[in-house]
Amino acid sequence: MNETLKLGLILFIITAVAASVLAVSNSVTSERIAEADRLANERAKMEVLDIAEEFNTIDEGRLKDIIGSNTNIVEINEGYKDSDLVGYTFNMKVNGYGGEITFMTGVSKEGKITGLKILNHGETPGLGANSTKPYFSNSFKDKSVDNELTATKSPQGDSEVQALTSATITTNAIVDGVNIVRQVYNEKLSN
Amino acid sequence: MKLSKVFYNGVVKENPIFVQLIGMCSVLAVTTSAINGLAMGLAVTGVLIGSNVVVSLLRKVIPDKIRIPAFIVVIATFVTIVEMFMKAYTQDLYNALGIFIPLIVVNCIILARAEAFASKNNVLASAVDGLGMGLGYTIALLVLSILREILGAGSIFDIQLFGPSFEPALIFIMPPGAFILLGILIAVFNSIRNKKASKEALVKEEAR
Amino acid sequence: MSLFTILISTIFVNNYVLARFLGICPFLGVSNKTETATGMGIAVTFVVTLSSIITYIIHHTILVGRLEYLQTIVFILVIAALVQFVEMVLKKMSPTLYNALGVYLPLITTNCVVLGVAILNIQEGYTLVETIFNAFGASVGFSLALVLISGIREQFEVIDIPEALEGFPIALITAGLMSIAFLGFNGLV
Repeated sequence: MNETLKLGLILFIITAVAASVLAVSNSVTSERIAEADRLANERAKMEVLDIAEEFNTIDEGRLKDIIGSNTNIVEINEGYKDSDLVGYTFNMKVNGYGGEITFMTGVSKEGKITGLKILNHGETPGLGANSTKPYFSNSFKDKSVDNELTATKSPQGDSEVQALTSATITTNAIVDGVNIVRQVYNEKLSN
Repeated sequence: MKLSKVFYNGVVKENPIFVQLIGMCSVLAVTTSAINGLAMGLAVTGVLIGSNVVVSLLRKVIPDKIRIPAFIVVIATFVTIVEMFMKAYTQDLYNALGIFIPLIVVNCIILARAEAFASKNNVLASAVDGLGMGLGYTIALLVLSILREILGAGSIFDIQLFGPSFEPALIFIMPPGAFILLGILIAVFNSIRNKKASKEALVKEEAR
Repeated sequence: MSLFTILISTIFVNNYVLARFLGICPFLGVSNKTETATGMGIAVTFVVTLSSIITYIIHHTILVGRLEYLQTIVFILVIAALVQFVEMVLKKMSPTLYNALGVYLPLITTNCVVLGVAILNIQEGYTLVETIFNAFGASVGFSLALVLISGIREQFEVIDIPEALEGFPIALITAGLMSIAFLGFNGLV
């Protein structure tokens, strides 16, 4: 029994040292991670709603009211220019092929999609990861929120966006996400 | 043992992928592009050196009976540290490698080196062994990922190599391509070694 | 996602071995004979399902919130301890089962399916019931791939394979062809 106790104690000490090393490095990196996230978020907002100069995050109570039971929308920001409301940005979270994809999209007060930016993803390089390339995200630009968006190989008209070759799951996840934004915008935010 | 020999051993003679055939999961999974392969290789190298050094330092303190759980704790600690720093400084790579970063813990190479080398040798030799094995692993990852990216996406480190008329063979960046290409690579490696071995045997025979 | 979809998805569409590359070492290492492959499959199914439940509960009662950075280290220790425990219990309770599965159990700790599934359950935000289905589906998918390839590899013994391709290379290429076949399940869910 004594032997077992001694072994257990040694293992416990090793584990305790390991845990405290991790606690230290966690406190070093967690601020940095939060800061990197914040900066990326800030830059993305400017990019997807470039007509706005200032942003105001919609608080939790109102957000709940707007999105209801939807879990894909994480955050909504109002964009202002000269204290006039010019549009909204939406932080989205959808499931792609390689796990979660987070992206941001903007909708102007005129009911047009102003941009799309993929923030984080784990999609396959050369396939789903092409969603970060401009030819994909630009195909969403200036589309009206009136029509349901669909993806095709050679998009035409106001309701079709670029489909990614051999990455149907990625394409659908993002297009569905944008369609949710359209719906929420039409129901709750346009007036 | 000479340090240069330890190093050569890791990179060529006992290359973890081509010769020992261990740690395959991450090799197949993350080699979809050259940059991912390189990043994974370096992450594993970092963990390998770290865990080898600490295991070697503790080799007289840790009782034999609990050495495996103790090694696993050491390895998991280094993996988590690497994970945290990748998340903080290279977020894109962190996302691309995804679950395979925490899974470095169960990468057989690391536990195997702790058990077979670091627990029996001094700190310096263990560090060199970690570096050699890590580099051998990284080189294998890099070869496979460069081939897959060229064949499957027509680019290398995201730089397009061919004109727009080039149709990449998508299969190579999808899962099947990984299996097939690695199979072919190991076969090529084997046949080179076999030839060399039979040549050496022949030379010995003649010398007799 | 419905529970049925999770099952189909983990067994066929996103097969953990052939599409996600988890558990490659045992997939290549113990797939020489159908009999051993079946034994390994059963042992993995048992451990993966059990460890998923335990890690899920630990994550949601202890780690969630402040201690999430300890996830990797805690999960791997839980799995290692669980494997030991299962081995001991089997030895006492059912010697026949122990004789059949015992040799595979120590190998399971370093099988990345086990840790991979445990982490993915948390990442995907599954509920406990979904976790059980995901874990079960994942390990059935693993066993399916393992048994299938072992059936093919048994045939290799009687055919003439080029020297350089013998052993692992031909197994890898076979796995690649199986993976192509499994791509056909894409779009099922």
